[in-house]
Amino acid sequence: MSENIVILMIGVSTFLGALGLIALLWGVKTGQFDDQSKFIDAARYDNEEELRDAVMMEQKKADHKKRREEAIKKRTMPVD
Amino acid sequence: MAPLPCTHCNLTFDESAMITEEHPDQTLHFCCKGCQGVYHLLQEEGLDTFYDKLGETTLQPASPQSEDLEKFDLDGFKQRYIHEDSEGLYEINLIIEGIHCSACVWLNEKVLHKMQGVIEATINYTNNKAKVIWDPEVVALSQIIETIRSIGYNAYPYDPSLQEERATKTRKAYYSRILVAVFGSMNIMWIAIAHYAGYFSGMKQEFKDILNVAEFLLATPVLFYSGWIFFRGAYYGYKNRIINMDTLVSTGAILTYAYSIYAMMSQHGEVYFDSVTMIITFVLVGKYLEVLSKKHAVDRLDTIMGSTPTEVTLVDKGVKSLVSIEHIIVGDIIELKPGEKVVIDGVVTQGGASFDESQLTGENLPTYKTLGDRILSGSLCLDSVVHYEATRDASSSLLSSIVQLLEESITKKPRIEQLANTISGYFSLGILIIALATFVGWYLTTGNFEQALIIAISVVVIACPCALGLATPMATLIGISVSAKRSILFKEATFLETMAKSTLLALDKTGTLTEGKPSVLTHQPLHPYDPNLLYALVATSTHPVSEGIRHYLTQAYTTLEAVPLEQIKSIQAKGVVAYYQGRRILGGNASLMAEYGIPTPSPTDHILFYFAIDDTLIAHFELSDTLRQGAIEMVKAVKALGIKVVMLTGDHKQSANSIAKQVGIGEVYATLLPQEKADIIDHFHQQGEVIVMAGDGINDAIALTKSDIAIAMGGGADVAIAMSDVVVLDEKPHSITDAFRLSKRTYRAIKENLSLSLLYNAIALPLAVMGFVTPLIAALSMSLSSLLVVGNSLRIKLHTKGATDE
Repeated sequence: MSENIVILMIGVSTFLGALGLIALLWGVKTGQFDDQSKFIDAARYDNEEELRDAVMMEQKKADHKKRREEAIKKRTMPVD
Repeated sequence: MAPLPCTHCNLTFDESAMITEEHPDQTLHFCCKGCQGVYHLLQEEGLDTFYDKLGETTLQPASPQSEDLEKFDLDGFKQRYIHEDSEGLYEINLIIEGIHCSACVWLNEKVLHKMQGVIEATINYTNNKAKVIWDPEVVALSQIIETIRSIGYNAYPYDPSLQEERATKTRKAYYSRILVAVFGSMNIMWIAIAHYAGYFSGMKQEFKDILNVAEFLLATPVLFYSGWIFFRGAYYGYKNRIINMDTLVSTGAILTYAYSIYAMMSQHGEVYFDSVTMIITFVLVGKYLEVLSKKHAVDRLDTIMGSTPTEVTLVDKGVKSLVSIEHIIVGDIIELKPGEKVVIDGVVTQGGASFDESQLTGENLPTYKTLGDRILSGSLCLDSVVHYEATRDASSSLLSSIVQLLEESITKKPRIEQLANTISGYFSLGILIIALATFVGWYLTTGNFEQALIIAISVVVIACPCALGLATPMATLIGISVSAKRSILFKEATFLETMAKSTLLALDKTGTLTEGKPSVLTHQPLHPYDPNLLYALVATSTHPVSEGIRHYLTQAYTTLEAVPLEQIKSIQAKGVVAYYQGRRILGGNASLMAEYGIPTPSPTDHILFYFAIDDTLIAHFELSDTLRQGAIEMVKAVKALGIKVVMLTGDHKQSANSIAKQVGIGEVYATLLPQEKADIIDHFHQQGEVIVMAGDGINDAIALTKSDIAIAMGGGADVAIAMSDVVVLDEKPHSITDAFRLSKRTYRAIKENLSLSLLYNAIALPLAVMGFVTPLIAALSMSLSSLLVVGNSLRIKLHTKGATDE
């Protein structure tokens, strides 16, 4: 067994582990584990309907932004 | 008839009592109009999959909400709770009431998502808090709240900026640090196994180098990221000239780390990266457990403030208007309607009503207030309209000052300096001095700088605070789990230690020593009578005395049937009058009897209830708040442990003294307002007492936070439980004794552990100083000392219930 094999094995496994750790840290930072009880139930409500719901919410946000931009445009346009 | 579950809330009722709906394919049963309404609403909206998600869970029956919605759109409300972002969207934090299961969360989110103008709605299932973002041009907050109410829930606003954000942030930071530490130490562990195997079977230097570098790479983030907390602690300690546990942990870890780098570079000697990460990980997990508990307290406090009104009805020259409480000045006349909560202190100028002051005094009996009487904020107007003059403005009124005090005291709780910290302070200092002396000694005698340095560092390494660091956490962890099995919840590990050192126990009367509701002591019928008549009379009132009588009657007679009464009239603070088949029936206290000219026997210490038909007194009952079972034994046992026992109560002197006499408490403080209770606790603090306080109501909350250890009885007000350090779930006074005993037992184990680890150091240190310590000895003796500490801590489990060891 050469040194290179050992370096490779330790390197790759630690790197993969570190990727998992980083994903976990990102999850903690973005608040995905804030609500333990809901977190556990998430799988039960994960279906097509929820996805449509999420899209609908995105759509609402986009609509609001558009309306607002239009309103600002109207206000800043010259009155003549 | 068989009991059936309600189609909406799943609670079971008798079929005859339910609303039945016949449909072609099924028959629906509802317990009330509210549930029926919600069911049909969900059907129409296509949200009926809610019931599949709900399963067998039972809900609270949906009751129509009477509170007016207008207040949510008022200006004062907006300024206080609503946050406007740069996009022109409004954001509010709500507490949703009535959430029982994840299906409820799903339903609420779904309904909010479907609303026009709601941009974002997320509900936290763990603490029932919700964040809603909406477009004020499309929808008003009152509509959002109305929607939540229409599906059978209720929502209160709260202000999250107070403490919640801070608490969550600390918790998250700790959590990330622990993740890194655990990851690092687990990986170093398996590399270290290869290392140790190589040590015994012989390993080429090249492989050793690879392992060393790998360990170095893993240990570095653990030491500097996860261990940052200890460096910070050590730095603050240094600034304040205190040597603490953090100093020892960080110097130990840094020196071991530096030595290991040296060994790695010079290629001789062993590396100790594994001990670096282990120390950090273990001690960090211990610290994290302490951070966890604070959050719950904050959640509960928000609930109290959220339920207080932001507007009051101001009467100005006969004109009534809703005014934000901030605008009320001293001298304004305020109208109070039944069911309203008082937010501003004042004096009654017109009318009279009964007030529920249980939040302030802990007493369940309402008090009657009339012209010239003082009204305190936090009480609840029960039965009629009252005008009163404000004597204080909103911010200095009692309720807001209570909440303010609570907020302050959550963060400033007195803590006793921990034993382990004091000892480890001296210990760290001693070790550092010994290590320095060793270095100087070896350098002077041998003249070999490198050898002297290595031996000096090995002194620090062998004195590694493993056993010392484990001494307290191990014992308290086991102490906590043993007490949890006996339904005593210690919220933080250090509380066990503090409680063991306590010298004084302050007890609340109502709800802690007593049941908190009056029950019948004696029943003296003067003439034979029909109990059904009295039963019907007391059933018309929800006054605690009526309920006590009713409870007594249902126990004394097996078959009771409420007879139909006519012209039922309840007279404030006096009793009830009704007619049955043309005869006048009276039930109430002596002043009611006096009003109708019926002579009564002379009063006693207890509450008296008279029952009369026409003009004759038929029976009289003596009622009193009964002692909880085991209260007398508890006081006796606690006194036997050498702890002083006092009683603090909001009740009047007479009944306080009579209870105190029964349980054997000599020192009694009666008629106390919440703030006064806290003042007494402060006073005891000045005398150098370490105080344990047991209570159950909001009236005890400030005193609870002021005391060193707060014990809440499990059935008490949420806020008292939140403020407390120890919760007694089974509400038995005996458990308080148990808590004292267990904490003393645990404290003993801590002391034993500390002596064990000091003894270990006393043996191992001289060897290290003399330069005899090889890596093998170091590793073996370290684990051995830790095992000893763990084993000794496990002995706490042998502590039997009711044992009197000290």
